[in-house]
Amino acid sequence: MATHDEIEIEVLRYHPETDSEPSYRTYRVPFAHETSVLQGLQYIKDRLDGSLTFRWSCRMAICGSCGMMINGVPNLTCSAFLREYHPGKLRIEPLAHLPIERDLAVDQTDFLEKLASIQPYIIPAESKAVDEGPFTQTPAQRERFYQYSECINCLLCYAACPQYGLDSGFLGPAALALLHRYNSDSRDVGKADRMPIVNAQEGVWACTLVGYCSEVCPKGVDPASAVNRNKVISTLDYFFRFMAPRGASE
Amino acid sequence: MAVRRPYVRPMAGWWRRNPFYIFYMLREATSVFVALYALQLLYGLYTLAVGEAAFDAWLVSLRHPLFLVFHGVALAAALLHAFTWFNVAPKAMPVLYLGSHRVADRTLVWAQYLIFAVISVAILGVVLGG
Amino acid sequence: MQIVQTDVVIVGGGGAGLRAAIAVAEADPDLNVSLISKVVPMRSHTVAAEGGSAGVVQTEDSLDSHFYDTVAGGDWLCEQPVVDYFVANCTREMVQLEHWGCPWSRKDDGDINVRNFGGMSTARTWFAADKSGFHILHTLFQTSLKYASVHRFDEFFCLDLIVVDGRCQGIVAIEVATGEFFRFEARAVIFATGGAGRVYPCNTNAGISTGDGMGIAFRHGVALRDMEFVQYHPTALPGSGLLMTEGCRGEGGYLVNKDGYRYLQDYGLGPVDPSPRPKAMELGPRDKVSQAFWHEDRQGRTLETPLGTAVHLDLRHLGRAKLLERLPMICEMAETFLGIDPAEAPIPVRPAVHYTMGGIWTDGDTATNLPGLFAAGECSSVGIHGANRLGSNSLAEIVVFGKVAGEQAARAARAAPAIDARATTHEAEASMQSALALLGQDGDQRLADLRDTMQTAMENGVGIYRSAEGMQTACQTLEKVRNDYSRVRLDDKSRAFNTEWLTVIELGFTLDVARAMAYSALQRTESRGAHQRLDGYEKRDDEHFLKHSLAYAVADAPPRIDYEGVVITKLPPAERVYGGMARQEGH
Repeated sequence: MATHDEIEIEVLRYHPETDSEPSYRTYRVPFAHETSVLQGLQYIKDRLDGSLTFRWSCRMAICGSCGMMINGVPNLTCSAFLREYHPGKLRIEPLAHLPIERDLAVDQTDFLEKLASIQPYIIPAESKAVDEGPFTQTPAQRERFYQYSECINCLLCYAACPQYGLDSGFLGPAALALLHRYNSDSRDVGKADRMPIVNAQEGVWACTLVGYCSEVCPKGVDPASAVNRNKVISTLDYFFRFMAPRGASE
Repeated sequence: MAVRRPYVRPMAGWWRRNPFYIFYMLREATSVFVALYALQLLYGLYTLAVGEAAFDAWLVSLRHPLFLVFHGVALAAALLHAFTWFNVAPKAMPVLYLGSHRVADRTLVWAQYLIFAVISVAILGVVLGG
Repeated sequence: MQIVQTDVVIVGGGGAGLRAAIAVAEADPDLNVSLISKVVPMRSHTVAAEGGSAGVVQTEDSLDSHFYDTVAGGDWLCEQPVVDYFVANCTREMVQLEHWGCPWSRKDDGDINVRNFGGMSTARTWFAADKSGFHILHTLFQTSLKYASVHRFDEFFCLDLIVVDGRCQGIVAIEVATGEFFRFEARAVIFATGGAGRVYPCNTNAGISTGDGMGIAFRHGVALRDMEFVQYHPTALPGSGLLMTEGCRGEGGYLVNKDGYRYLQDYGLGPVDPSPRPKAMELGPRDKVSQAFWHEDRQGRTLETPLGTAVHLDLRHLGRAKLLERLPMICEMAETFLGIDPAEAPIPVRPAVHYTMGGIWTDGDTATNLPGLFAAGECSSVGIHGANRLGSNSLAEIVVFGKVAGEQAARAARAAPAIDARATTHEAEASMQSALALLGQDGDQRLADLRDTMQTAMENGVGIYRSAEGMQTACQTLEKVRNDYSRVRLDDKSRAFNTEWLTVIELGFTLDVARAMAYSALQRTESRGAHQRLDGYEKRDDEHFLKHSLAYAVADAPPRIDYEGVVITKLPPAERVYGGMARQEGH
């Protein structure tokens, strides 16, 4: 890479074997116009300090590995660029609200368990054999859920959500967006199974509509809309159950 | 043998960390002024029930500079509250379609301002005309 | 060392591994499946596939046509019975993904939509906008959560196979978060560890595509087949190698040189038509399109960019509406990484390493020549890609053969003899000690330097065009890197989440894969598909080389290269013809 300039990168370090709490360390990194923040971190690891720990993989903002806080804002480091911060400096921290495993790598297990809990798969009206061919789904039907299916599970929205930070029992933006994705799919009839999750204390009602999750989402999923539409749905669900205790949730 | 020892960062002072959060807290704080204004209005209704003298005294008290300041602040808070609500309303509404085209969030926000303006003018017309 | 007793171990949580896990669970829910992945499954490289996945659906299309395109595209180095099975099962698997929720793009009537792809006679590529791999992976991952018998071990790094009495009986893995060793005792093991694009400096691959499974299997005497065939994708971003999908051309995009000329017409791919003609021009196969770039570059007809020479991928005539519908991620990437709006300006692209056609030798049922070990997906060579893979055949491959691997492993697990715990312990201890030795070793070599030297040697010597001299130099450099490898000194000597340690282990695997590629390439004295020579072997030589290469590891020496015949049942070797003279139907 053609090097033009240098920038200072301050990184939060934490080693579970030796540190009682995290501390900052500063590195100077050369960069060019196209150097991503991730490449800056890779430079540190390759050339300055091989012990710096972070996750990365695809480099093209689709695998969801490299989310971190850049100057306090959750972002994918592969698609943020050092030039945007120059001549200032960068402070890179692991995603907020998630436990730090080591350095910039956070513990993702809570999200993975939450994702599993929402039944994130098609629950069909009746089982259809593969030989019968695909379901028919018009572009309009597909559009009802498609935006929510674009979640890359990068967890930026969890780092943006103070309610999750204050109480990690909250199901959180991405899991609720994916729940809404399946509930909105014309091939799925699992809504009744998922409504107790929506209605629960840890479901949509733990959200106070800060709205920052949608602001930081790199894929335009707009999880806040999924959560808040489900507040309306949850209210109607309650109302209809109240009106007709044995009735359907629709 | 190594064990996992994830470090959980404290949340104290979280809302000061990001301008977005500060604005969010400000939005939430508007409810305090809206509530106080409502209490004050309720008190006015109460004085009306008590009698003309009490109601007049309440009206006089409203002209006190402190009350004027309070009304100014409450109005600002109500406007901010409305503004933030208008902005987030599309997130809570079902998705609207015109034909096969999805109505953009921004269009919905502007539609609310339009409705707000129409109603305000209508009320003003009634008040001034009456 | 912790011990996990299980029935089937699957290494790799990408499309092939997840499909295999589901297949085992469906074949026999009583079998305990351990799905081991060095990343959380949805981070796997399947996620980055863009254009789509093949499956015959149109009424005018036929399985024979898909068969013909695949075999001709692979320059006849394909196992024809396996291709037969493959094309017959692609559509089924695409429908299965649809039933599991994959948001395939649709026609107005709600039917599946398909697009054109390079080297395919007609539109048969199922797509979900330009995020097909992403949607397939997330669909498979989320669906896999339904199956209680599938136990995930996320962020467990597979270090080695456990082979006792000539039979694979499990694996050794490192739990990334703690650095602790785990011994998985299993009756069957499936490798679904993906490709090895990281052998080269400029590639479209994720950082994790380091050829781990190939390297591990190779060290245990399993053959790596057809490793010299490395695919360069013609349209990647200069410098980063990020992929601009072939779907861009499937939708009608042009490739033009610095004079704005659609140069592919000069390389046997013409004529120029106003609308895309299958198998012609920009819809030629990847080997030929990348080779055409090489010639244009040599003749000075490419553009200079700060990150290397390039040609233009011009999508402007498609219009913004179509670009946003069909290629939204391309638009997003062009904007993010280049500051370009493809509706307004052409995208500079050049070839970058994309895919390893070769891999772990398997039969048509995904069984390797090591009993108890199966392989599927890019890490394997089941025999369908030959010397050049057609775009959209690999996403289909991972599900078609992922399923086969799961079913076969389930059967093998039920029939397998009891595990010899004492012998497996012994083997696992040895693997652990060698990994710990790497952690502790002292030396003067920096990991990144060795990696860079290896990658540069491969790009220079074993690139789009090759010569004996260049390949020999590459081989020598690789041997030197191999020697230096024992003198790598790590900054990080700790155990918990030590990614530097894991990276050096990966580099060991990658280096073995690179050697298998370079030596296989050196000994193939002909030109075929993605293996093109300039030193007097410019022609295909069916008499001597209508054969698969087989690379075997030899202790402290270069790999031994053997050959085996190609099974040809239906389609005898013929000339590959693209452009106006191309056969459009397979009958």
